[in-house]
Amino acid sequence: MDPCAHQWSICNVRHGYLVEESCYECGGRLSFFSAEPTPPMEKYREGRHYWAYLASFQTVKFDLKCRACGRIVDLNDVNGLMLSECMDEDCQVGALVRQQGPESLVYVAICPNTTHSSGKCVSCEGIEALDQYFKAKLAPIGKKVTVVPCKLCNSIDKCRGTSIADVGLTDIV
Amino acid sequence: MKVSEVVQKVGLKAVNEYKDREIESVYISDMVSDLIASAKPNSVVVTLQTHKSLIAAANLAAAAMIVIVNGRKPSEDVVALANRTGIGLFSYDRDSWAFAKNLVKLGVQ
Repeated sequence: MDPCAHQWSICNVRHGYLVEESCYECGGRLSFFSAEPTPPMEKYREGRHYWAYLASFQTVKFDLKCRACGRIVDLNDVNGLMLSECMDEDCQVGALVRQQGPESLVYVAICPNTTHSSGKCVSCEGIEALDQYFKAKLAPIGKKVTVVPCKLCNSIDKCRGTSIADVGLTDIV
Repeated sequence: MKVSEVVQKVGLKAVNEYKDREIESVYISDMVSDLIASAKPNSVVVTLQTHKSLIAAANLAAAAMIVIVNGRKPSEDVVALANRTGIGLFSYDRDSWAFAKNLVKLGVQ
């Protein structure tokens, strides 16, 4: 058990783009963070996959650092957060949303490969640190929040929720 | 300064029912994802945005209130989410700069 009662704060803030691609061959989807001045849009082959650009959004990435022990948790494997409104009875996130009730909000941390074909998702360490950080931030104002990894969703691409993304910035009228 | 004092003195239009929280900071941005990393707790968030993602982000930033400038109005689903998160939503007819000058006049730093 970790002896430190961590006091997380945000560090290593990076501005860039969240780029989404899909594969012509298998229909798979992936997303990645690009710190380039403009998001890359070239098609490319990677093993059996042939990836093509779908969309990109401006976004911000960060890591968490403990003010008490100095430990830094790398959140490179978090591509975004989504406020879940899932009501799917067969989904673990939906079950958690229903179990916690309207007073408590569930946020899903989204990993780069939401098909989880590699078996990877956001690290347990990252989820734990995010959950502790937001709980500590919101508790003083009486709000409850839980952060869970996207691997708990039946299908993150079909999941009901609100992703925190800078979509439509150029659509302001 | 309380949310209700800003509402009254600046002439904001309340879009939903709000909790009268203490304001400790101000954050002006039209980039929603930036809120989580940059806005301090109990901030006034000033923005042009009216997306639902604004509410999802402002909630994680522990924002005290959201002021949507230039007279823009959020849709019903955005207001419903703001109600669920307990964040006060307000509309202001003029731009961010005009609102910021009002806050400075009121002594909000």
